[in-house]
Amino acid sequence: MRVDYKKELEIAAKSMIMVHDSEVLIKMIVRMIVQKVKVNHAGILLFDVEKDAYVLNVSRGALGLRIPAGFARVDKNNPLIRFFTERWDRILGIEGMIVLQDAKKILRKKNIPTMGKKILEGALLELDIFESVACISSYFRNDLLGLLLLGTKRNKKDFTTDELTFFSALASDVAMAIRNAQLFTNLEDELNKKHRLFLHTTIALAAAIDAKDHYTHGHTARVTSLSLRLAQKLGQILKKEFAPNFLEHLHIASLLHDIGKIGIPESILNKDGPLDPDEQRKMREHTILGTTILQPIRELSEAIQGVKYHHEHYDGSGYPEGLKGEQIPLVASIIAVADSFDAMTTDRPYRKGLDKDKAVEEIKRCSNTQFNPIVADAFIELFKEGEV
Amino acid sequence: MAELLIVDDETDVREFAANFFRKRKIDVITAGSGEEALLFIEKEKPKLVLLDITMPGIDGIETLRRIRKLNEKLNVVMVTGIYPDEGDAFKQCQELGVKVYIHKPLRLEELQEVVLREMALCA
Repeated sequence: MRVDYKKELEIAAKSMIMVHDSEVLIKMIVRMIVQKVKVNHAGILLFDVEKDAYVLNVSRGALGLRIPAGFARVDKNNPLIRFFTERWDRILGIEGMIVLQDAKKILRKKNIPTMGKKILEGALLELDIFESVACISSYFRNDLLGLLLLGTKRNKKDFTTDELTFFSALASDVAMAIRNAQLFTNLEDELNKKHRLFLHTTIALAAAIDAKDHYTHGHTARVTSLSLRLAQKLGQILKKEFAPNFLEHLHIASLLHDIGKIGIPESILNKDGPLDPDEQRKMREHTILGTTILQPIRELSEAIQGVKYHHEHYDGSGYPEGLKGEQIPLVASIIAVADSFDAMTTDRPYRKGLDKDKAVEEIKRCSNTQFNPIVADAFIELFKEGEV
Repeated sequence: MAELLIVDDETDVREFAANFFRKRKIDVITAGSGEEALLFIEKEKPKLVLLDITMPGIDGIETLRRIRKLNEKLNVVMVTGIYPDEGDAFKQCQELGVKVYIHKPLRLEELQEVVLREMALCA
């Protein structure tokens, strides 16, 4: 039964478009070649950056003939590779591939450049050691990404023009697949870099608050650490998995929860004694101030919830808006507990900090009034496990 | 009487390597584990052993140790995926009298050269 290669390519293209994993794609391609063209084996040599060589990574065919993945390599200076990287294929008029049956004819020609002859002969030797009778190159621009190696056809016949065109088309697909995978990785790397920059900038901003507010040196770091652990514990207790970005938002929110204090006069922030009602009112503005500062930054829209509402009380007696119960975003409820605990256990010039167990008692006492009871319970658990 | 014993837990590797050398007119037997290898060494008395380092069960180095108990002089070539500097596998192999290593991914020419050369040495 004659194979309609054009049709096969169309069908293949349709299924390949849906596959994003380049490894899977390349395996599909090799499998298709072995099945449709009925070769004894086929494999792909792919350039490996780490090993700086072409490694045979995908191979299909009869046991004993197919080369195990990762077993064999061909170095860059091997004539088989040089034949393509130095573009002898173009010079000798057999663009993009070597087919044994035709290569032998070329070698018999009289006007073939000496170097070209040498390299082609070397390439054929290498093909022989891989028991292949054809190889097709996969380029992206001028980079040789890989080589498709083909064993003999099971019916022992030569390759037809149709089959060779089929292979070329697939070799291009291989190049595209590899290129796409590279682009994705690069994109991921870029995103990761941007993300790290964002995080580091946030941490620097948070450090600015600590620098201004003498009595809370290290407060932000402690609250952040505690909030994250508290969230993990909550997740365990509720047996729930948070939305993927939840912990990320919590992290940022806790780092920035006191940023509004930058707008509070130092005389109030670093006062030696307890605050009078006026000063208290001013101090409470730090939640709104923080929100105002962060509002223009789109990426922080979720984290702002933690900054704005970390002083709300479960029973509605908090500030700035007097939110009640489940109206208070979880991020804020978590920071509220961590923040209060750290405030209680830190020394001030006018009072010493409470012992940890006394502070935990307070949290317990104010559960359901000041604090979200589930969060408070999780915190108590955490303390019992010595994790505080 | 087999001349070459190939030891590797991966079937693809064993069969490919066996085929490779049979085409070069070498008598080959294969073993899929260290334990199997030891049985064959006693029975078939091969001239050369190609031994994979990473195998489940008793790994290459332990197999090598036990081979040495049977036969101090048997020529063994270790096939490894790790670079010599990593871990003291290299050192242990050296102490057990192995002088030749092949690293995966290997050059097929190298595989051929090494085996043919080492076999000639034990003729």
